[in-house]
Amino acid sequence: MTNAGEAATSSKNRFGASRRVLTAALSRSIGAALVLVALTSLVFLALRVLPGDPAALVLGDEAPESARAVLRARLGLDRSLFAQYVGFVAGLVTGNLGESLSRPGVAAFAEVFRALVPTAALAGVSVTLGAVAGVVAAVFAVGPWLGAAREWIHRAMIVVAAAPLVAFAPIVTFFFAVRTRLVPLPGDPESGLAGLLFAAGLLALPLAAQVGRMGRAALLDQVRAKYLDVARAKGASAVRVWVVHALPVASAPIAVVVATQLGALLGGAVVLERLFERPGLGTLMLNAYAARDIPVLEASVAAAGFCFVVAQGAAAAVAAVVDPRGHVP
Amino acid sequence: MIRERRTALVMSIGPAALVFVASAIVALFSHRSPTRLALELSWAPPSAARPLGSGEAGVDVMALVGHGTFRALVLALGVTAFGFVVGVPLGTTAALASSQRQQIVLRLCDLVQSFPTFLLALGVLAAVRVPSRWHIGVVFGLAVWAPFARMALVQARAIAGAAFVEAAKALGATRARVVALHVLPNVLAPVTVQLGSAAAGVVLGETALGFVGLGPRDGVSLGALLEQGTVGMLRAPHVLAAGAVAVILVSGSLQMASEGIRRWVVKEA
Repeated sequence: MTNAGEAATSSKNRFGASRRVLTAALSRSIGAALVLVALTSLVFLALRVLPGDPAALVLGDEAPESARAVLRARLGLDRSLFAQYVGFVAGLVTGNLGESLSRPGVAAFAEVFRALVPTAALAGVSVTLGAVAGVVAAVFAVGPWLGAAREWIHRAMIVVAAAPLVAFAPIVTFFFAVRTRLVPLPGDPESGLAGLLFAAGLLALPLAAQVGRMGRAALLDQVRAKYLDVARAKGASAVRVWVVHALPVASAPIAVVVATQLGALLGGAVVLERLFERPGLGTLMLNAYAARDIPVLEASVAAAGFCFVVAQGAAAAVAAVVDPRGHVP
Repeated sequence: MIRERRTALVMSIGPAALVFVASAIVALFSHRSPTRLALELSWAPPSAARPLGSGEAGVDVMALVGHGTFRALVLALGVTAFGFVVGVPLGTTAALASSQRQQIVLRLCDLVQSFPTFLLALGVLAAVRVPSRWHIGVVFGLAVWAPFARMALVQARAIAGAAFVEAAKALGATRARVVALHVLPNVLAPVTVQLGSAAAGVVLGETALGFVGLGPRDGVSLGALLEQGTVGMLRAPHVLAAGAVAVILVSGSLQMASEGIRRWVVKEA
């Protein structure tokens, strides 16, 4: 069914419209739950079903069998797989996956929540920066102010969107933070807000370029729209035409882009935390990986997956609210 | 006109082919080893014998770039070929099925494409004793088919309504025959556009995993090279430069090839 058709029926039938929004919300939630279940189950299974004794991975091959047996019992690995899975799901729901192996006495989820704060700050600031910068670039790439230079903005967006963060972040850091010391190294505990902004800015660049490209395309779709002619005929300035009239229409695809880029953002955040040796969820996960700290690894993957799903749902909800046609993207 | 377009296509695919051949020459036909260490040459600047200098513990950066690029490209080609072979039939057959089934496939693509691959890789790689490129390939293979399936579905849906498909049906062709002879050939060209960008995505994903220490254990990857370059940033900036340029060249040339194929296909239609 086409969107126009849906819009026409929904104006006749408000009950149908609200039911469709409900269906969309429901299928979103089911999708989100599927991602979470798939992610946590895969990690659970990978740590148990793949060949190799997890206790030997943790303790090393030289560890005596008695020590391994103690660890297996502590992690519950001596129970049946089904019993373990039930315990794992119960642990996820109650927020208790046991204690960290590398820091005995500290609950795995406590470690994760401590690490979540700096990463959430980094991701939140960079999503904000990326979305704002991308929208501004898109408006300038379409509006009448820059003339022929608009094409250059478009080209710059394409280049930046294709630029690999893992390659350019160390280079930018080398020139701006290490050589010239214009900005502090974000891993330095003293770096504060400037360090956070620098790291978030690096992470925001690819996002801004993607948002800019999609926003530009969405705005170009509106160029010939009648309602913009009406606005111009009423004497609206170019700023008013593009920002007040056209931009809200283009904001749904922009929110969708942000939602689809969150996975890349998460990977980028881990890369940057490693680059700057900045504390956070990525650093915690990598350390837990290196030490085979199974409870912390499971807890951090589950927490990261949960935050990811919630953020994605929020972006999709924004898209659904600003686009009243209520179609499922 | 056709000759011009063919030249444009070759020019856009050329860089990627060149990168592949150059890395293959270093990896397969030169005596340079990416794992041989020469401690006395640690972080040594470029010289005649080692054009790109030496890295941590005196490893030959030239060898590391060549082998790392070659292995990343082989991985990317394998994973993308898998995605193509799985995704195209899936999308094409779904396009001819009921609209509910199309919706299911599309939603599945949404789900897989927005999946946080990094988290999955972390869990899977943590479980194996010695992470290798095979494991990384499996992780990427889980998600790589989705863009191909989506593209094929959208394309095949447009073609399924075309007059020549109606004509074939009216002549009594079976469904398998319609798909194989009439729909599939017209789907393939637009879907090949995805090959380059999917391959670039795999290369960058492998590099990012290697950079954070989840790469192959032998340390022969572009990500491990970038990690070395970051560690030795002040002592030996040439290592970082070599790694970053290599990564940008590989992913850039693949994306350029993708764009070239897109231009070719768009004008063809």
